[in-house]
Amino acid sequence: MAVTTDQVVLNEWVACGWHGQVPMGQSYDTVIFGQEICVSRKGAEEYEVAVIEENGATGRTLPVQVRYTCIFTTLGNPTRPLPVIAEFDEDDRRIIGCGSVGVRTSPYRIIENFLDMAHFSFVHTNVLGAPDQTEVLAYKTEHRKDVDEIWALDCKFYQPAASTASAGGQMTDYVYRVMSPFSVMLYKNVFGDPARNDAICLFVQPMAETECLAYMPMALVDEISTPEGIIDFQQGIFLQDRIILENQRPTLLPLDPTIELPTRADASSIAFRRWLKAMNLQFGIYEKQAA
Amino acid sequence: MGEFRDRWTAVGLEHQVEPGSSNPAIVDGHPLAIWRGENGQPNIWHDRCPHRGMRLSFGFVRGDTLRCIYHGWGYESGGQCVSIPAHPELTPPKTICAKVYPATTRYGILWTNLADEPSSPLPDLGPEEGWHPLRSLYVNCPAETTADRLRGADCGVPDAKAGNGGDGIATIETGSGLTLLIAIQAVGADKAGLHVVARGEDARASGQRLELARKMQRLRCALEAQ
Amino acid sequence: MAIKLHDYGLSGSCYKVRLLLDFLELDYEVEKIDFYPGRQHKSLDFLEINPLGQIPVLDDDGTRLRDAQAILCHIANKYDASGRWLPHDPARFGQVMMWLMFAGGELMAASAARLHDVMGYRLDIEAARRNAHAAFRILDDHLTEREIEGGQWIVGEEPTVADIACFPYTALAGDGGIGHEDYPALRNWMRAFRRLPRFQPMSGIAEFT
Repeated sequence: MAVTTDQVVLNEWVACGWHGQVPMGQSYDTVIFGQEICVSRKGAEEYEVAVIEENGATGRTLPVQVRYTCIFTTLGNPTRPLPVIAEFDEDDRRIIGCGSVGVRTSPYRIIENFLDMAHFSFVHTNVLGAPDQTEVLAYKTEHRKDVDEIWALDCKFYQPAASTASAGGQMTDYVYRVMSPFSVMLYKNVFGDPARNDAICLFVQPMAETECLAYMPMALVDEISTPEGIIDFQQGIFLQDRIILENQRPTLLPLDPTIELPTRADASSIAFRRWLKAMNLQFGIYEKQAA
Repeated sequence: MGEFRDRWTAVGLEHQVEPGSSNPAIVDGHPLAIWRGENGQPNIWHDRCPHRGMRLSFGFVRGDTLRCIYHGWGYESGGQCVSIPAHPELTPPKTICAKVYPATTRYGILWTNLADEPSSPLPDLGPEEGWHPLRSLYVNCPAETTADRLRGADCGVPDAKAGNGGDGIATIETGSGLTLLIAIQAVGADKAGLHVVARGEDARASGQRLELARKMQRLRCALEAQ
Repeated sequence: MAIKLHDYGLSGSCYKVRLLLDFLELDYEVEKIDFYPGRQHKSLDFLEINPLGQIPVLDDDGTRLRDAQAILCHIANKYDASGRWLPHDPARFGQVMMWLMFAGGELMAASAARLHDVMGYRLDIEAARRNAHAAFRILDDHLTEREIEGGQWIVGEEPTVADIACFPYTALAGDGGIGHEDYPALRNWMRAFRRLPRFQPMSGIAEFT
C-alpha cells in the first residue's frame, strides 16, 4: 500500500483511534492514507503517534490530540485546527463513543451519506424515517468561508423513533456541519426539550482510498437511556448505512455531476462535492477515464 | 464504451429468478441486476442506480417497477426513472435512466448480451421444447478452460460423452439417452457459472433431476481438482 | 414466568433467538450487552452469567442457557405446542439437529469474516471467507435439491429452528465481504424466510426485500 502524495489530504487532522482502545502502556498499529503508524498510550489521556518506516523501524513522531473520545493525528501541516464542538464540554451531557467500524468505501461517501435525509425512510425504516413520509423539504446550504465549513440548515424530517430517548414519532429538526473532508456532525432537537440539541459526530479514518474506519462520538441530552442501549442504537443505525456504503459503484467518489445524478434533496451533497472539487483533492476521488 | 463482445451469455436459470425479486450476477467482472416484476418479464440491467451508484440488485420490486434500496427511486422495465420519493410531486427527468441490457429466455436459461449493438444470434440447440432445468452452480476455474476440462472430468454418469455446443456451451450425452446442456457464464478471471438443463426420457421426473443435480456437484469438484 | 435475553443488536446469534421469540409472539425482556467496544461479555460480571463469555444468554424462569442453538431448542420445546419449529418425528428430528450443528459450526466462518471487517477482529480473513463460501455451497446445494423435490425449507414442509439458525449469518454475509452471487437457491430461501409472518429484520439485512 503506497502512501498518498495528495498534500491536500495529508494536511488534515484525522482520527486514528478511540480513547480507551488499548490499556495504558500498550500500543497498536494502524494506517492513515496508506502510511502505517503506531499509536502508543503513555498515560491516562496521553498518546504518542509515530510513523512506521518500510523496514519496520519507528520513524518521526506525529502531532496528536485527544478530543471527542477520539485520538487525532496528521501527517502534514494542518491549515485548519480540530473543530470546536462546544457540546462535548457541557457538564450534563452524555459523552459516548462507539468504537470504530470498518467500511470499504471512499471516506467522502461515508460523510455524504451522513448528510443525506432522503434515505431515512428506506434504510432506517420505522426508526429515522417512515415508509409513507419520504418527502425531503427544501433546506439551505452554505459555505462558511471564515471557518471553511459546509453547513446545511433548516432541515426537517419526520422520524418514528429519532433516538433511544424518544417516546414516539416527531418532526426532527437537523443542522448539519461538515468540518473537514473527513469529519461531519449533526445537531438534532431533543425529544421533549426544544431548547437543546443532541450533537452526533462522524469522524473518518482514511486508511486507504476505499478502506476506512468510522468513529461516532455523541454528546447527548438523555437522562434515561443506558450506555449499552445508546451504543446498540447508534451502531444499529450505522450498520444499516454500511450495506449501502459498501455497495455503491464506483467505490471512489465521482465529483462530475453527470456520473451520479442529484436532485434537490441532494443539496448538501452537491455543496459538499463542489467544496471537495474546489480543494482540488485527489485521494479517494473517482477520475473518469479520458474518452 | 464497446468493452464487451457481441455474444449471448447465460446468467441463470429462468425459474430461479422469482417474480418480485432482484438478484446479483457478474459477467466478465461487470455487475448485473436481474429482476422480475409481477408481470413475470425478466430484466437485466447494469447493477447501478444512476443517482448515487447503489447496486440495484439490492433493490426491491413493487408491481412492475424496481426500486433502489437507498432512496427508493423507482424504475420501469425500460430503465426510465418514474418516481423519486424525496420529491413525490416531481416527474423525474428523462435523463435519469438505468442501463438496460437485453434479457431473453431459451431452453429455460436466461441470456443477455452486453455489447452496445447486439446482433449475434442466440445459441441454437434445436427446438425450445423438452428441456428441463437441473441447476446453476459456480466453479472456481476460468470460463475459457471449463469446456475443455469438462471433457476430461468425471461426472459419475455412466458412458457420459462431453461435446461442444458452440461458444460458451458444452453438452453431455449420458449413456441412458439424456442430453445435458451446460451454458457457461464467465464471471471473473477464475470463476465460471454453469447453468444446466436436461432433455430426454425422464428428464422431467424430479427423481431423475435430483440425481443429475448431484452429479453436477460431483462434476464441480472434478473441474476444480484439475 | 419471565424470559430475559442478554442481547446485542448486531449479534447474528442473538438475532436467532429474537427471531424465534417473535415468531412465537412471546414477551421477553432485553438486557443490552456492550459487546463492542465495551467487551462487556468478557467482564467479570458477565462471566458469572456465562463463563464462556459469549452471547446470547437466556434466563427463563430460573433456567439459564447459553448457545443460540440450544436456546432455540429450549424455546421451541417449551413454548411451541404445535411442535412445528422443533419436529420430534424420526424423519425430521435428526436432520434438524444436523443443520443446527452446521449453523453453530461451519457457518460461523461467515460470522468471523463479519467480526473482522466490521469490528476489526484480528483473524485470517481469507480463510474465514473461503470457509464461509464452502459452507454456503453446502447449504445452497442442499436447498437446490429441496427445490427440485418441491420443498422450500431446510427440513420438511415448514420452517424449523434449522432455518432460523442458518438464516442470520447467511443473510449478513455481505457485512464480511461475501456476496450472494453464487447461490441462487440460498437467495430464494432467504426471501421466503423474510416473508414469514412476524419476521423482524436486523441491521445488515435490508428491510424492503
